[in-house]
Amino acid sequence: MIASISVILAMSALYITFPESISAQQEDNVIHTHTGGIITTTGEIIDPVYTATTDPEYTEATIEFDPMEYLREFDYGEVSTLPDGTTLREFTIIAEDDQIMEVSPGIFFNVWTFNGQVPGPTIRATEGDIVRINFINNGSKPHTMHFHGIHPAEMDGVFEIVGQGGKFTYEFEAGPVGVHPYHCHVMPLEEHIVRGLYGVYIVDPKEGRPAADEMVMVLNGFDTDFDTENNSYAANSIPFYYQNNPIQINTDELIRIYVLNMVEFDPINNLHLHGNLYYYYPTGTSLVPSFYTDMITLSQTERGIMEFQYEFPGKYLFHAHKVEFSEKGWVGIFQVNDNSQQDEKSAEKVEYGS
Amino acid sequence: MEVSRKQSKGKLIASGIIPFAFLVLLIAYIFGPGSDVLDLGVPLPEITMEKVDFVDSEIQVTVRNTGPIPVEVVMADINDRIQPAAIEPDRFLERYETALVRIPFEWNVAEPYRIGLTIEDGTRFEKEIEAAAPALEPSLELVGFFALIGTYVGIIPVMIGLLWLPFIKRISKQKYHFFLALTAGLLFFLAIDSIEEALDVSEENLAGSFNGVLLVATVIVLSFLGLYYSGEKLIKRAASSRLSKPVAIALMISIGIGLHNFGEGLAIGAAVGLGSIAFSTFLIVGFALHNTTEGIAIAAPMSRGKGLVGKAMIGKLAALGLIAGSPAIFGAWVGGFVYSPFTSVIFLAIGAGAIFQVIVVILRWIREEGDKNFSSGAVASGFAAGMLVMYLTSILV
Repeated sequence: MIASISVILAMSALYITFPESISAQQEDNVIHTHTGGIITTTGEIIDPVYTATTDPEYTEATIEFDPMEYLREFDYGEVSTLPDGTTLREFTIIAEDDQIMEVSPGIFFNVWTFNGQVPGPTIRATEGDIVRINFINNGSKPHTMHFHGIHPAEMDGVFEIVGQGGKFTYEFEAGPVGVHPYHCHVMPLEEHIVRGLYGVYIVDPKEGRPAADEMVMVLNGFDTDFDTENNSYAANSIPFYYQNNPIQINTDELIRIYVLNMVEFDPINNLHLHGNLYYYYPTGTSLVPSFYTDMITLSQTERGIMEFQYEFPGKYLFHAHKVEFSEKGWVGIFQVNDNSQQDEKSAEKVEYGS
Repeated sequence: MEVSRKQSKGKLIASGIIPFAFLVLLIAYIFGPGSDVLDLGVPLPEITMEKVDFVDSEIQVTVRNTGPIPVEVVMADINDRIQPAAIEPDRFLERYETALVRIPFEWNVAEPYRIGLTIEDGTRFEKEIEAAAPALEPSLELVGFFALIGTYVGIIPVMIGLLWLPFIKRISKQKYHFFLALTAGLLFFLAIDSIEEALDVSEENLAGSFNGVLLVATVIVLSFLGLYYSGEKLIKRAASSRLSKPVAIALMISIGIGLHNFGEGLAIGAAVGLGSIAFSTFLIVGFALHNTTEGIAIAAPMSRGKGLVGKAMIGKLAALGLIAGSPAIFGAWVGGFVYSPFTSVIFLAIGAGAIFQVIVVILRWIREEGDKNFSSGAVASGFAAGMLVMYLTSILV
């Protein structure tokens, strides 16, 4: 009793004597620099970790975007079977151009969206399926959906401009096999794309691909000050996100990434993987890889499938080897966990494609 | 009678206040809370990086919100590459509020850097630094170094210029007028030089909201009027005191030149502070040559001082030389250690106003001495020669 009272007295005496030093210690923040240094500040750190939230108390954003969720999220549509036995996959896609997204920690930017996100939802079908897109334009400007792939001219989303409040139904047979972009094709085209109206469209081969931990990476950027240069770059919109939140994968497990380059303004982008090489399937149209490499360069809307597995656990970087882009956010980490110890866990967690 | 006078006084006050009251109402109507009369257009945010310091493994940026609306500073970059950083005290900046952004960065001496800050709407602001140099740490050694430079640039050349006094004393009235006009020409050049420098600094470092050009113009006029008023008083009093009119004029010239030399000191201190050593060496040599002519400017009126002989004369001359020259030392300290573009602009503009006032005084004196005549060959050629000499020595800077 006496001891505890004396401790409290001693503490309060200390606090009265040195209030500044104690409160200063409580307030100090620490920055971890990119070169490994550490500095302390009594102020705020302006490299905060991105938090996806639409809570108005913390953010001006009107839409929520979680890159970790987007990474492994595939929209297979509403599935039904047509009288001739063909699978019909129906999707509803709504375009808007008044949403505010936190495109980088603390930066709130008016993006144009398909279903309230950038990139838009990953549309996935199997070769030969009928894909039906009920497109609604809730934006203030005309918009369309233009799919790369094979389809009739009137389904190309170029000449059939959908005005404010308008609707259009795109319907075509899924094909060819591979990974393709879709995007708005209204002029000025660069603006309609770079503001966020794009997404990934995957066509699986009928026979399927080997089971794998599958992911989608759209390489993109935002020009937040309209000087026709990107202010930030990323895989899946948010700069440095996968560096601050490493992607968890397992040793000896096949990883398949559907990569699409949607960066505007800069003629090329690329993807370099550390401590490993990947098999590369350009556009994913062939089941036989064309390259075994750790570095592929992609131009606008160029895309492909990358497959690899890690033998050794640990942290591995992946980033643009156009290093300017990686220093402006297009960099991430694979946290490779030892598979032998957590077989059950990973089996639960991983959802295999198709 | 008494009542009506009171009434008329009341009317007078009312008639003075009524328009003012209407003005207040108008402003309240336009800008008051809940008013949407002028709710047009979008206010654009603006921040200004007023100062960049290169310290140990860190670049420190003093940033001010110079726009019409509050901003948040949320991202920092060096050469357009995003860097983690800290902002003190916090990232929220009200109008005209400043903050210190600390960006950890292993910078290299003498290399150029572009510092970028991005605010919450994604607008990026950039400041270019021509060559990085370590920020000067105020030390006794450096204080002494700047004092020495200030002495070289300010005091010694002015003193050397003063040595022409015996020469000017012996010459004819015509030639004397030539030298007075020469002084006016020299000073006119210095005034323009100061204005140019003030406008440059405000253009490069001050936000548009400070209205750089108008700020400079206003301060020049205020400085001119202030010194004009006090100068007249000084001359009037000189008539009845032991201070003769020539000394009073020389004193005013010294004060004007002193304010100008403060600006020169600022330029040198800032150049050393910014690490442009070669540039500052040129500045020192150039200003030294240049400032010798300022000695002539002080000597010219002094040479007609009556009853100024021997020690008294030397003492006064030394004092005037110090008044004119020593501000260069203070300028170098301020420029090197606590450089602020705003105060620099103010000092340069005050200097320019002071010089214009001195020119007016000299011209008036020439007119009084020279039989109300400005158009003599001596005056015209003197003024022209003054400008020309200054221009030629300024090329060295």
